[in-house]
Amino acid sequence: MAIRFNGAFEVKRKPEEVYDFLTDPKKFAPLLPDFQGMTQQDDKHFTVKVNVGISYIKGVAEMKMELAEADRPRRAQYKGQGSVAGGNVSTISSFDLVPAGDGTKVNWEGEAQIFGRLMSVAGGLLEPLGKKNVQKLIDGLQAALK
Amino acid sequence: MIMSETQKQKWVGKAVPRKEENRLLRGRGKFADDLKLREMVYLRFVRSPYAHAKIVNIHTSAAEALPGVVAVLTGAEIASQTQPFIEIGPDPCAKIKDYPLAVSKVRYQGEPVAAVVAESAALADDAAELVQVDYEALDPVVDAEDALTDKSILHEEAGTNRIWNGVFEYGDVEQAFKNAAYVVQIKKMHFHRFSSTPLETNVVLAQWDNKDDRIYYWCNNSFPSFAIQFLAAHLGVHIDRIRVETSDIGGSFGIKITSYPQMAVCALASKKAAGRPVKWVETRSEHMTSSAHGNERTFRDTRVALDKNGVITAIASRHIDDCGAYPRYEPLGCVIWSQVFAGVYRFKNARIDFTQAATNKCPVGPNRGYSRMQHLWFLERVVDICAHELKIPADEMRLRNYVRPEEFPYTTPNGCVYDSGNYPKMLEVAKKLIGWDDWKKKQEKARAEGRLIGIGIGTTLDSGTNNFGQSQIVNPGAPFSGNSQGANCKLDIYGEVVVAVGSCPQGQGHETTAAQVVADVLNISPDLITVRTGFDTERNVHTGFSGTYASQFAVSGLSAVHGAAQKLKKEMSRLAAFTLESKEDDVEFGVGQQGPELRANGKSINYWALANIVNVNSAVLPTELHEITLNCRYVWRAPFKVPDKQRKYGNLTLTYASQLHMAVIEVELDTFIPRILDYVAVDDCGTVINPPIVEGQVYGATAHGIGAALMETCVYDAVGNMLTSTFSDYTPITAVNMPKVKYGHIETPSPHSYSGAKGMGEGGAAPIHTISAALQDALFDQGIFIEDSFNNADAIFRAVVGREHGQAANLVKLEKRA
Repeated sequence: MAIRFNGAFEVKRKPEEVYDFLTDPKKFAPLLPDFQGMTQQDDKHFTVKVNVGISYIKGVAEMKMELAEADRPRRAQYKGQGSVAGGNVSTISSFDLVPAGDGTKVNWEGEAQIFGRLMSVAGGLLEPLGKKNVQKLIDGLQAALK
Repeated sequence: MIMSETQKQKWVGKAVPRKEENRLLRGRGKFADDLKLREMVYLRFVRSPYAHAKIVNIHTSAAEALPGVVAVLTGAEIASQTQPFIEIGPDPCAKIKDYPLAVSKVRYQGEPVAAVVAESAALADDAAELVQVDYEALDPVVDAEDALTDKSILHEEAGTNRIWNGVFEYGDVEQAFKNAAYVVQIKKMHFHRFSSTPLETNVVLAQWDNKDDRIYYWCNNSFPSFAIQFLAAHLGVHIDRIRVETSDIGGSFGIKITSYPQMAVCALASKKAAGRPVKWVETRSEHMTSSAHGNERTFRDTRVALDKNGVITAIASRHIDDCGAYPRYEPLGCVIWSQVFAGVYRFKNARIDFTQAATNKCPVGPNRGYSRMQHLWFLERVVDICAHELKIPADEMRLRNYVRPEEFPYTTPNGCVYDSGNYPKMLEVAKKLIGWDDWKKKQEKARAEGRLIGIGIGTTLDSGTNNFGQSQIVNPGAPFSGNSQGANCKLDIYGEVVVAVGSCPQGQGHETTAAQVVADVLNISPDLITVRTGFDTERNVHTGFSGTYASQFAVSGLSAVHGAAQKLKKEMSRLAAFTLESKEDDVEFGVGQQGPELRANGKSINYWALANIVNVNSAVLPTELHEITLNCRYVWRAPFKVPDKQRKYGNLTLTYASQLHMAVIEVELDTFIPRILDYVAVDDCGTVINPPIVEGQVYGATAHGIGAALMETCVYDAVGNMLTSTFSDYTPITAVNMPKVKYGHIETPSPHSYSGAKGMGEGGAAPIHTISAALQDALFDQGIFIEDSFNNADAIFRAVVGREHGQAANLVKLEKRA
């Protein structure tokens, strides 16, 4: 099952600044909801640990993240893959940056593909939970870029 | 032919209480999980969350470091020390490399990727979670017709997802269409995927004795003689070194036939764990995602030719079967359906183009009514849709098309020989039981009130005792044909009659019915006979076909028991004639003051004394009686020939039990919930050995069928996630959901079995056909065709919405030529 989200927000920062923030794992990763820790392999690869709690499935998910597209200052895309008890999750998060006045409009898209028994036992909860977590991430981004 | 002995049967046919009840109802049954061995360790599988993915890496070190973990196995390790499992099919199927743990890629969600063995089950659970597997997701294919495009291939070594294809054509199909008064075209129908959910899941306890490479299995596999043939070749051990023992089994319905991959892993795990016994107990969700499901089948471009009276003269259709990720018992299902090629009908011309495809879903396996129920449902849908199109009542349509009683034994277009039957009589009995005329009036009144009530008929066949030669129709090189079963009947040292059979009963009452047969031969009570339950290779009674499957025990099992009992009787007569100084023909069997005895010349000798002579007092025996052992093995062989592989022609099954069900169903207008208002099941399994046992199996099969028709379906999403992996999602039928079933039966004895009995128990999935027919009857006036075998409220709602969107408009077309 694929869960897709998209939206846009504006910040009063130049596209270059927004891009540099988004593509710096040390700054970006802690904004992920229920972030627990991070290990960086290189400029483009890092592993984050996030707490997961869906119904009675609780645990720590380890997400392997890759900065798959880096086109400064227009576009950044992360691909992630992680596992949690009962399933695996693949994510793609894209950020397209467009100058808007003295700031930047960030058009974002997210897709999460869920695999495993997780879908069977928590399928109905995943979409609202995903929306909630994406909103947390976007709120965090906006706050950090103020 | 029926032997004259059936005339004097005293116990066969009686409602003898089941010998098993004393044990099972008092909680004294011994099931696979009940055995615990010293130093036993527990196995847990690590399973794939993906339906289709490459395995990039498997990290086992964290699991191996956990205190209490004994061993971790991966697919690569297993592949390095074993051969892939035998494939039954020819190329491209034969090229598939099937190992019990995924080696380089996974092909269905729930496929085992690694196995962890630990000192306790809980530790094994914890350790399994520490095994990290890196996957690279691949495009999954979950629809059989999509799979046939080969855009995403499951088994690269095969090069295609097409597992098998063949055309079954008989008579002159095109001429029949030219001569037809009516032609009905049905664009698409679909038989859904479901499973039988036995109460007891799969269990394996394996021990690999490293000293002499001997493997012991205590398990609940329901076709062990098949399993050991696969295991011996896979593990590279002599088949004689594998001992399989089963005891009480809490249901199988065919599903437990395909537990041999897990049996292989448990043995290899035991080998790695220095010979410690390894136990694996399948969880319910493991069972739902990865044991075996029933075959899903799509019927495309069906054309039916009929004469002016509504008699079907020809059928042409294209069938696509979905076997899931591995063709383990397949492609046998590609031919097994043709045991009932013509169903209960007389048409002589037909062409079925049959294809099987692999998809990223749980492998299929035999499942109560295996492969035949899909085809029988198809035929019943054809008959009902044609009846509605031609405005012929459903009962009348059937009477015009049924094989007639005077035509038995009846040879079908593909050479199968229906032994006996009387379908019009079954219809008459069912109509009387349900009150057909009354319901017709009520239906008319209800329709006038705007209520949707339908009355459906499902006539079906339960073909029993396979001719394994049909495997040569799918693979001309397959080394199987015929069928056999073994039994042993002995007089033990203390004169106890002990019977052993190569079957694996799961509630079918084999102990009781075997005792009834022997009791009639020896003229004693079944209470005086001990029947060893369960399967054990070391009893040496089994043949290569032994097990419990395909509705055959009443024929193959009891024929073997009967043969063994006759041999024992002969030996006892000879011995008694010697000791009583009489002629062999004068010896009578009966029960005296000292228990079971043989009488002649006014003298008698009891069983203990007879057994004593042979076993511990043999010096008194003359040389000519030295061959007497009072320990008689008999192998019954079915009188089959190898089918004509080119023509796909021959007798594929020995007996054909039949079932006719009727249902009255109302579809609630606001909720679309289908409610069963009345239900009748009429059964004909020839001579009935034990009426309550037969009746119980009819109820069981009815429950399974109603569950499958209205409640149970295996749902996968677009990426191969199984969404019904728990009972709360799958909703198997329970007693609470069962309607009151009115049971009736007729008996048309089979000329193909010694007793006149026919194999039964699977039930031909009659309720699925019947419920589809009743819903069709309820909804036809609304412009709705029942095109799917699964019809819960949601499915009916979607059919209604589909009709509103015109989706049903092109589903069925009637061409009138008359």
